[in-house]
Amino acid sequence: MKKEMLQFSDVSLIYHTKRGETKAAEHLTFTIAEGEFVAVIGPSGCGKTTLLSLAAGLLKPSEGTVERHGSCGYMLQKDELFPWRTIEKNIYLPLEIKRQKTAQNMERARALAEKYGLGDFLQSYPSQLSGGMRQRAALIRTLATDPDVLLLDEPFSALDYQTRLNVTEDVSEIIRSEGKTALLITHDISEAISLADRVLVLSKRPARVTFTHQLDFGDVVNPLKRREMSSFSGWFEILWKELNG
Amino acid sequence: MMKKKQSYSAEHARFLKKRRKNLVLVWSLRIGLLLLILGLWELSTQLGWVDSFLVSSPSRIGKTIASLYRDGTLFYHIGTTLWETLVGFVLAVVLGYAIALALWWSETLRKVLEPYIVVLNALPKIALGPLIIIWFGTGSKAILFMTLIVGLIVAIMHMLSAFIATDHNKILLLRSMGASKLQILTKLVVPSSVPSFISMLKINVGMAWIGSIMGEYIVSRAGLGYLIVYGGQVFKLDLVMTSTCILCILAAGMYFLVVLLEKLLVKNSES
Repeated sequence: MKKEMLQFSDVSLIYHTKRGETKAAEHLTFTIAEGEFVAVIGPSGCGKTTLLSLAAGLLKPSEGTVERHGSCGYMLQKDELFPWRTIEKNIYLPLEIKRQKTAQNMERARALAEKYGLGDFLQSYPSQLSGGMRQRAALIRTLATDPDVLLLDEPFSALDYQTRLNVTEDVSEIIRSEGKTALLITHDISEAISLADRVLVLSKRPARVTFTHQLDFGDVVNPLKRREMSSFSGWFEILWKELNG
Repeated sequence: MMKKKQSYSAEHARFLKKRRKNLVLVWSLRIGLLLLILGLWELSTQLGWVDSFLVSSPSRIGKTIASLYRDGTLFYHIGTTLWETLVGFVLAVVLGYAIALALWWSETLRKVLEPYIVVLNALPKIALGPLIIIWFGTGSKAILFMTLIVGLIVAIMHMLSAFIATDHNKILLLRSMGASKLQILTKLVVPSSVPSFISMLKINVGMAWIGSIMGEYIVSRAGLGYLIVYGGQVFKLDLVMTSTCILCILAAGMYFLVVLLEKLLVKNSES
């Protein structure tokens, strides 16, 4: 049995506002093992982002516990690169925040950037890069501190379709080859199928896990290849029904 | 993703040339307009279309400047006003920035002080004139204080709204990295508000001149504001016009310094 990196046990969360309280999540229970790529899909507004905030420790659950074994790196919908910093300085940002800006760590981050095609753009500013390259830079920034778990909050949804397929491919390859554990939140069923080892389906608010599927693509982890496989549409149909059921 | 130093097409060369030509045209028209106004002004007074006693004239302004220079009072008055304006400006900007930071830091403090700031902003500062004279006397201190309060509230409100408008997702990103509030401030809030800081400086250049001249209207025995009031009282409109023109030049100069600073500070940011 592999090490568990993230464990939700009977987690509930209530949002409090002036107008009252909203139950955002209810009895969420699941675990993510080391090296696993888990996708969470759910209807829009079901509290998917809440789940990531809980996983990252940005929100405390009202009930239940969230256990993290290892550090988390968060990647958002938009790249959120700082426009006044060069790509290189953007990538060093988490090192600065965590006070780990050692020569060794900087070298590691630089090497990652160069390995994944950002070498020529280190001294560029984000505005000089295309959307796809920016998102790639955002991923390298997330990886700079060598986190154990990656939390991905719809990281492709702000991109146009063509770019999205390419970036999905990139990100998948980078995450797999770096051997990272990943939790991806998305509303895009085919994205979830093309990337994940396991898919969790959430209900409408308050979010509960209604279905869990271990995907059976064997060794195929390449998103585009998966899309071409015959079992892809079968999974799509199942998940589509569960989402709308 | 553009690299510099590439060879441009002939069309691009034409485009650049057209832009340059346009720039030359705009500047020559600007200068031409100024010369035209000055020329018409001079001519209409020379030919007696208007009374130069009431509207002065460029040549009379030149003579007034020369005589002020001979008296040795020209730079004394300019220096007095300039000093009051600059010190008041710097004080308002620095204090305003610091107070806005404090209000950003503590939401409670912000909520408590909000109505006070709104009221102080709406209050015409000149209403405080008599109080200022009594508290600070009739010297430079009173004028400095007037300049300070005219700019201070504007600086606070402008910077505070910029600090509060910091992108929530970027804050979320930093928090997910485990950033402290101080780190969020120094890494994100301050650098992302640089463009607002520049626009606040531009607004406050104007505010500082309003403050110092208004201050000199109420009290003072020196400065360009004093010359304007004095000139008005003794009907020396040459003096009024001269001081006003010098004010125009000084205010424009100060504004251009801010624009220069802007070019230095935000050359790399996304526009």
